[in-house]
Amino acid sequence: MLPSMYRGLWRAAVHTLRASKGNPPSRFLSTCNGVSSGLADAETIFALSSGHGRCGVAVVRVSGPASATALSCMTGLTRSLPAPRTALLRSITDPQSKEVLDRGLVLWFPAPHSFTGEDSLELHIHGGPAVITAVLQALGSVPGMRPAEAGEFTRRAFQAGKLGLTEVEGLGDLIHAETEAQRRQALRQMSGELGRLYQDWSHKLKRCLAHVEAFIDFSEDELIEDGVLNQVDRSVCDLQAEMERHLKDERRGERLRSGVQVVIAGATNAGKSSLLNTLCQRPAAIVSPIAGTTRDVVETALDIGGFPVLLSDTAGLRDSPDLVEREGVRRARERVEQADLTLVVVDSAHLPSDAQKAATILQGHLRSVLPTQEQPKTVFSADRFLLVLNKTDLLPEEQRLKLHRELRLVSGLPPVSLISCHTNKGLQDFLTVLHSSVKTLCGDPLSGAPTLTQARHRAHLQQCFAALAQYQRYRDIDLALAAEGVRLALTSLGRITGRVGAEEILDIIFKDFCIGK
Amino acid sequence: MSFSPSLNRYASHMLTKKLPPLQSFLSRFSRHTSHLARQQYDVIVVGGGHAGTEAAAAAARVGAETLLVTQKIQTIGALSCNPSLGGVGKGHLVKEIDALDGLCGRAGDWAGIFFSILNRRKGPAVWGPRAQLDRQQYREFIQSELLSTPRLTVLEGSVEELLVSEPNPEEPGHHRVTGIHLANGSQPISASSVVLTTGTFLSGSLFMGQSTSPGGRIGDAPSSAGLSWTLRERLGLRTGRLRTGTPPRIVKDSVDLSLVEVHPPDSHPTPFSFLNKNIRCKPEDQLPCYLTHTTPGVEKVVRESLHLNCHIQEDAKGPRYCPSIESRVLRFPGRQHQVWLEPEGLTSDLLYPQGLSMTMPPDVQLRLIREIPGLHRAEIHTPGYGVQYDFVCPTQLSPALQVKSTQGLFLAGQINGTTGYEEAAAQGLWAGVNAARWALSMPAVALSRTESYIGVLIDDLVSRGVTEPYRMFTSRAEFRTSLRPDNADLRLTLKGFEEVGCVSALRYQEAVRVRDSLQDAMAALQALTLSTPIWRKKLPDMRMSENKNTLVNGMEVLQYNDVSFEMLASAFPECLSSHKEFAQRIKIEAVYRPHCQLQKKEIERIQKEENMSLPQDIDYFSLPVSLSQEVREILDRVRPTTLGAATRLQGITPAAIVHLLNYVRHRGQEERRTHRQQPEKREEREEELAARNASLPQ
Repeated sequence: MLPSMYRGLWRAAVHTLRASKGNPPSRFLSTCNGVSSGLADAETIFALSSGHGRCGVAVVRVSGPASATALSCMTGLTRSLPAPRTALLRSITDPQSKEVLDRGLVLWFPAPHSFTGEDSLELHIHGGPAVITAVLQALGSVPGMRPAEAGEFTRRAFQAGKLGLTEVEGLGDLIHAETEAQRRQALRQMSGELGRLYQDWSHKLKRCLAHVEAFIDFSEDELIEDGVLNQVDRSVCDLQAEMERHLKDERRGERLRSGVQVVIAGATNAGKSSLLNTLCQRPAAIVSPIAGTTRDVVETALDIGGFPVLLSDTAGLRDSPDLVEREGVRRARERVEQADLTLVVVDSAHLPSDAQKAATILQGHLRSVLPTQEQPKTVFSADRFLLVLNKTDLLPEEQRLKLHRELRLVSGLPPVSLISCHTNKGLQDFLTVLHSSVKTLCGDPLSGAPTLTQARHRAHLQQCFAALAQYQRYRDIDLALAAEGVRLALTSLGRITGRVGAEEILDIIFKDFCIGK
Repeated sequence: MSFSPSLNRYASHMLTKKLPPLQSFLSRFSRHTSHLARQQYDVIVVGGGHAGTEAAAAAARVGAETLLVTQKIQTIGALSCNPSLGGVGKGHLVKEIDALDGLCGRAGDWAGIFFSILNRRKGPAVWGPRAQLDRQQYREFIQSELLSTPRLTVLEGSVEELLVSEPNPEEPGHHRVTGIHLANGSQPISASSVVLTTGTFLSGSLFMGQSTSPGGRIGDAPSSAGLSWTLRERLGLRTGRLRTGTPPRIVKDSVDLSLVEVHPPDSHPTPFSFLNKNIRCKPEDQLPCYLTHTTPGVEKVVRESLHLNCHIQEDAKGPRYCPSIESRVLRFPGRQHQVWLEPEGLTSDLLYPQGLSMTMPPDVQLRLIREIPGLHRAEIHTPGYGVQYDFVCPTQLSPALQVKSTQGLFLAGQINGTTGYEEAAAQGLWAGVNAARWALSMPAVALSRTESYIGVLIDDLVSRGVTEPYRMFTSRAEFRTSLRPDNADLRLTLKGFEEVGCVSALRYQEAVRVRDSLQDAMAALQALTLSTPIWRKKLPDMRMSENKNTLVNGMEVLQYNDVSFEMLASAFPECLSSHKEFAQRIKIEAVYRPHCQLQKKEIERIQKEENMSLPQDIDYFSLPVSLSQEVREILDRVRPTTLGAATRLQGITPAAIVHLLNYVRHRGQEERRTHRQQPEKREEREEELAARNASLPQ
């Protein structure tokens, strides 16, 4: 799924089809007359560009030709646009319901004097998650707007020649980091109930497309019954109904908890559950000297230095004949893959006193925690891993000091903390390290906040839904254009579930039909 | 290994059937080839099938002195398998080949004896122009076209070896092709480019029942082992093995036509070629096709004879969409499968049973077909057989169809892992164009998948490779609504003349006329802006749903399903009647234009990326940009030619693309700097050739 998803992220959503039930001519009036040619073809993007957590003000950025429309319909400034680059205090309203969402500062940056070189808009609003969500969703409902892809603001700035040489050098790495954050965020959502629902839709759409394509490419010479299309009609109808219900559902399925995802992982009996209990200052997880005590993921919400953290304790990683434990290990690995930060816990009593040898063993521990496909090329970057050497109370003090001194000089290791959950020794130092990691992560608007992913998913689902209407509209007039609708729908959904290539469709065709031409 | 007696008997039988009517052509060719004085050409094309003939003709059109070498002159332009051209997807390719001034569209119009547009009710983007052909007339047309092509010589012979030397250090590649050596030839024939279109002859084996023999087509000698050796051992090209097959030919008189369903052709046949208004055959003289089906008896015969059928037991990959009757009944048992009986020619006494390709022993083949309604007393004229052959993994080619590691060597057709006449012809044309341009020191040209099915075909081949014989389907083209059969001339003919140099002035002028007329017509329609009530009054039959008093123009009205251009023209004769010639095309344009406009941005983005070429000599492992080892390995293995191709690779991250983009931009700036100091000679040569081409006698 990953490579295709990368591609999905890179490719800007192209077809912003609007849901419209009118006749084809009326729908295309603007494009036909050439009114919306030129600049209006480009899309307008928006994103939360400030961090989350302990911030009083959140900044939402908008860039692209529809910025002015967004500005006027969300602030009621219909007569004239505000003076360029001047802060203006306005009520921010939902363009559809006219409900006041917040009161905040509005800044208007007409092209070319903006970060991206395009017409841009900044909304400075209150930092609460409810306000941010509401504003982002309101922006998504403005025609021609969609959530930005990873690094898209910077990329637009780059294309407009607005970046300095060093910024350009860093662009690739920035996009990499954002893509990674989005990928982890998406993985979290896709592993749940919602993910299963989207996958199911994607599967149904693939079959619909395969069957329409089979009917187009082969039916003249083959025994492909007309009934095939009737089946597609029914599926498309059902899918539309399901999507409509889903999009209208105010609960939006499961509400994901906000916060930086920190996962505790490591071998059995290293003291992972003890660490969780120590950090949340209550016995949230059962601890015992028996290896394999924790079998499922234990999750706790914490506040670390003012930042929201979702801390998960996982089953110890080992090969076990026990079915339940094996499932626990699988879930543990899944969590690590989705985590913003992983605390790798190691029993320090099992480490040799020589720092070099200890480092090799620690690297082995890190590798065993990593998802198998990432090995062995991944570098253990400091911002995604922390090493926690537990049970230092069992070490002679001089050895503890030696490890503490020498391990930080070894390159290729993430930050190392030596603690004892038993005596709480070293805990304060560890909390300082953890706090600074969490703080860095919170500065990134993409980690921890499910709102953005949800807004993005919603935009893609709306496009998908609108594209299915195209199938209905052209079903009896022009099957090529009807198929195009299903294809667009699948492309939109593919931006959530992974891209679907022509070969995959052909595979379904040849599995379902005997093509003998 | 030698021909088994049974194969030999049928082979000679087929030959004697074919020879007589070809005598006149043969003698003309011999005359043409007898004064073969030169030992040097710009381009040598090896093979006279669909790829080879298009390649040779295209190379000559571009301006190269071209030599076509084929084992047997009389089989030039032969239809080795089905007697038909076009279809859904394949018909799109024929229209595009024709738009680039290729042969097969006009040959189809000349030799067609049954024309129909498939998918007539499914929308113009997927209409599939198709024709049954008279084999003999098709061959005659192709042969006489080649004969009258200036700068083209045809030579009968078998290529013993490909001559290869050290590469030109200024161009990427480890080798350079210098010519060929013929089996009987005393001296080598040298050339700057060689196009190999050897079809199924590369290490080909024929299968029937339990006997096998070397060869690529029944009745023809196997090609020399030297060529395969050079490709594999000397040039180090990776190859794979594929299989295909052909059905037995049935004696028409022995078929009970009262038991099969008759399928008549279109009463108003539509020609393939943009240059033709009519086909050669009189519409009423067209022959019908017949439809029958398999029975449980067929399945029984297949199962009972499996142990006698070694082709089916081999594990070389066959096509999923053109399976033998054996694999059809094995994969989908208990079903009725269609069998089409197609005419082979106006005077032919044979029928071609489409869907009955089989490789069992001849006596079992007879038993099998007699289980089919209408064929109870049928006689087999020539039994079916299977072919297994080597193909060169096409990811080793550039989008110009040049072997990346060998300067001047081009491959086209089944040798690249495709199946079908149209796929072969399309590659042949494009390989021929580029072989000529290489020989004449002009830069390579590429067709994008955003502008043509030929581009889709080539991009799929060179960037993804093949795992089974590749066939064109319309579902492979992302921009299907823009790449329609009706507008192939506007997409390709203008470019073919202005940028590629493979289109005659005559065809170009026609395309310009069409383009201008369409533009005029659409401008007239747009100028026709009226209020809804007036439209209703003028066109009372139209169900116009707008209630408000809005202004609507003619283009928008034409988008309505129940409005035709003719209706508009009779309502507004003064401004529209002069455009009636293109009524259908205007209607299609009106309906599709809004959808194409939506695709335009994505198309432009892809084209922009495709225009950023990645140097072929790049060392990805030492490239001073931040790329992961994994990405470097992928890039090194595939060596994408453009940034666009790199974007489509599995495992390439957006970040990697940005890094590459930066690199290409920097490098481009540096090159422009050095460029200014050295005036480019190629451009001068190109201008000169374009001028020469334009002034050619038509």
